[in-house]
Amino acid sequence: MPDGLLDTLRATVGPANVLTGVDLSPYVVEGRTPDAAVFPGSTEEVAAVVTLAAGAETPLVPWGGGTAASVGVPAARAGIVLDLARLNRLLEHEPGDLTATVEAGLTMAALQAALRGRGQWLSLDPADGERATVGGVLAANASGPRRHLYGTARDLLIGVTVVTAEGVVVKGGGKVVKNVAGYDLPKLFIGAWGTLGVIVEATLKLRPVPDAERLVCVGFDRLKDAGAAVRAVMGSDLIPNAVELLDAAAAAALGVTAPGAALLVGFDGLAEQVEWQCAELGRLAGALGGREPRALPPETWPRLAAGAAGPGAVAVMTFSVLPAQAAELMEQGADAARARGLQTAWAAHAGVGVVRATLASEAGRLEPGPVAAALAEWRELARAGGGQATLERAPLAVKALVPVWDDPGAGGRIMQRVKRELDPKNILNPGRFVAGI
Amino acid sequence: MYNPATMAALTATRKRELRRALEAIVGAPGVLSDPDELLVYESDGLTLFRALADFVVFPTSAEQVSAVVGLANRERMPFVARGAGTGLSGGCLPAEGGLVLSLMRMNRVLEVDYENHFAVVEPGLVNLHLSWTVGPRGFYYAPDPSSQQACTLGGNIANNSGGPHTLKYGVTTNHVLGLEVVMPDGEIVWLGGRTREASGYDLTGVFVGSEGTFGIATKIVVRILKKPQAVRTVLAVFDQIDQASAAVSAIIARGLVPAAVEMIDQLTIQAVEDAFGCGYPRDAAAALLVELDGLAVGMEAQAARIVEACRDAGAREVRAARDEAERQLLWKGRKSAFGAYGRVSPAYMVMDGVIPRTKLPYVLRRVNEIVAAHGLRVGNVFHAGDGNLHPNILYDPRTPGEEARVVAAGAEIMKLCAEVGGSISGEHGIGLEKSDFMPFIFSAADLALMQRLKNAFNPTGLCNPGKVFPTKKSCVEVGPVAHRPHAIEEKGLAQRF
Repeated sequence: MPDGLLDTLRATVGPANVLTGVDLSPYVVEGRTPDAAVFPGSTEEVAAVVTLAAGAETPLVPWGGGTAASVGVPAARAGIVLDLARLNRLLEHEPGDLTATVEAGLTMAALQAALRGRGQWLSLDPADGERATVGGVLAANASGPRRHLYGTARDLLIGVTVVTAEGVVVKGGGKVVKNVAGYDLPKLFIGAWGTLGVIVEATLKLRPVPDAERLVCVGFDRLKDAGAAVRAVMGSDLIPNAVELLDAAAAAALGVTAPGAALLVGFDGLAEQVEWQCAELGRLAGALGGREPRALPPETWPRLAAGAAGPGAVAVMTFSVLPAQAAELMEQGADAARARGLQTAWAAHAGVGVVRATLASEAGRLEPGPVAAALAEWRELARAGGGQATLERAPLAVKALVPVWDDPGAGGRIMQRVKRELDPKNILNPGRFVAGI
Repeated sequence: MYNPATMAALTATRKRELRRALEAIVGAPGVLSDPDELLVYESDGLTLFRALADFVVFPTSAEQVSAVVGLANRERMPFVARGAGTGLSGGCLPAEGGLVLSLMRMNRVLEVDYENHFAVVEPGLVNLHLSWTVGPRGFYYAPDPSSQQACTLGGNIANNSGGPHTLKYGVTTNHVLGLEVVMPDGEIVWLGGRTREASGYDLTGVFVGSEGTFGIATKIVVRILKKPQAVRTVLAVFDQIDQASAAVSAIIARGLVPAAVEMIDQLTIQAVEDAFGCGYPRDAAAALLVELDGLAVGMEAQAARIVEACRDAGAREVRAARDEAERQLLWKGRKSAFGAYGRVSPAYMVMDGVIPRTKLPYVLRRVNEIVAAHGLRVGNVFHAGDGNLHPNILYDPRTPGEEARVVAAGAEIMKLCAEVGGSISGEHGIGLEKSDFMPFIFSAADLALMQRLKNAFNPTGLCNPGKVFPTKKSCVEVGPVAHRPHAIEEKGLAQRF
């Protein structure tokens, strides 16, 4: 870090809001310690910090709850952590408009609690809501089981305020639920992993809290049959809010006993609608070898967002495939790992084809070679069906052998041009994302 | 960099050469260059702006689109894609001359995957034809712009089109999984795909709604939805427009998200009843058309909540359509409103503002005041559920000075929408029409970032120049503001939005 930058940062945000030295331990990612962590208290201070870093050509790592800090290509230079924890206010919530405007550092749990008090919720349920912040969830495009019915951040974010890589405050979208004025900038910052700008404020679409909700589990002897049941549910009149498919290992990690696989389906709405749909599910699944449906406690929901990973997880890969291919990928992927002597657990938001696989070891240590070979084979399985895979979590030795991000194809060149236009000095999370971005 | 000031009119020789080069790509019948033929393409659904192209070409494949775009780049000619031409902001006009690529011959449904709920289509496919194709298997395509009998999926992508049922189901962008795009430099690229997530930035998301300035979509992957088990349509009649506005928020406050909530004011009701007799009470100040869909179980209970919310807001009459015939008649009243205006006024100008729905009572009052202050009348028929206003200012273009007052009132309404935290377009796009209103809601820095994004896709600026951003309109002939209803609109067979 250039001389004097630390002093300027302290003068900008106050000495108490700049951490250095041993205080940086929460910000150590994959063995790298940042030069400093800075806590701006306002959008203006964020802009000032970014301007200073840009002037010094020092990398910045925007930081929310840190729940996905290790996702991505390991950074060459650690740089300065820009922690948005102090920007944690719910700025506006007008129930009649079904919208809320929040600061990026507000945690999902705090937001949901405030909204629920007025009968509404943000229909986005990623893992780790107590720690994950709105800004981080948007930057990581994190989601959970209810995305089956309610979509992801791209369906809910209607306006965004960002600080650009040059320290300029810019707005995109607006505060109304329908808006086609100008380019759809909110889409650009979702899932961009903080490489195009620092999200400081977001306006989100809300929904009314449903009268009733229930999560039911149907056990199957074979994953194949559970997969057939997913297709039957998709082709039926049911309107589930979640369709989750778990292999035996993932079910066990969740504490659900299932002989071969478990199909978990969520329903919400009026009580009579939930009741009717649960009965209809039992009929559909029963015809395909499913056991009697049983209700699971509400605490199960957040654990589904985390992919039902068991203890000793060493590597995690997430896939996006066609929904009808999810069960097959889970079976073939598990076989490929087993052939290398590796234990896996597989869970899927099956109705949208988002699959998550965990490689585990009882000792917590694995040889990088076979792990990398299995991960590479998994990715090929997904790609063969037109899908893609992201290596979400892995030891550095494995990341050295398997690319974190899947190949974006010819679109990668457009992404590089977007990055160059928006961050010409390459200071925002440099090298962390796809295509060298 | 493309600079319109240096574009000279084509000489006859050069025009012949270019025509031959285009014919070599798309064949002789696929090129128009006769001024009489080009006239058809000089405007879209908004006749405010007109601009003549040098050529209109009709490619039939992505490769042909790419070759035409490549030629345009070599010849430094601006180019713009066009679907059915039903747009309402001048977005597909050749504002600075050059080429129009009509995609109407690329109108096939290429693939339907009923198991994974998506379809792959070409951009010239008419919106409603997709629902017709997948309908027999119990599916439909949700975004339903009111021009859906004519407008194309490619045009919907460009404008991120909406429609009455966006309240529950979202707009076009919420239903697009992937796009094959001919980039402004001619390269054919896939953005997104058939699966829900793709590696890298959400380029599909930024392409949708870019109004044809980021390239030309040649294949479109869209989600198709299962048709709901049940549909229920409720008509609520009010003696005061404020009551109807308040009822919109009251419905939301009861924890309901209907598929659609449409409002129709008195002037519009009377015009519709004179023309078609759809069963709306002529003396009502306003009516709400509320549609619920979903499971058959619970439908009655939800309809009862709607009825209760409307009654509490002061509705003098609330009734559900007894059968499909009555439901269709009510929707005909809503959908044929624009044709009906032709009975009460020689011309009208349609606005497309959006406001937070809680601001409806105030904004509707102000809209009426603004228009009255200019000595004009306004009819309102719009997507009340998501706050998307469509004030239609009625006037007579033969009366000197009246057009200028319409334009002035329109600008005041746009300012009003911006002041209450809204937007200047909910579904029609910025195009040429509203580019000078962009500063009402965006700062210079906001627009500068959008310009950089545009530069990443379209660095030469040749792809649909002169749109979205505030710009001088010297190359465009500004014609009369009037919109005169098309013959099929007058018969109530189609509508503008």
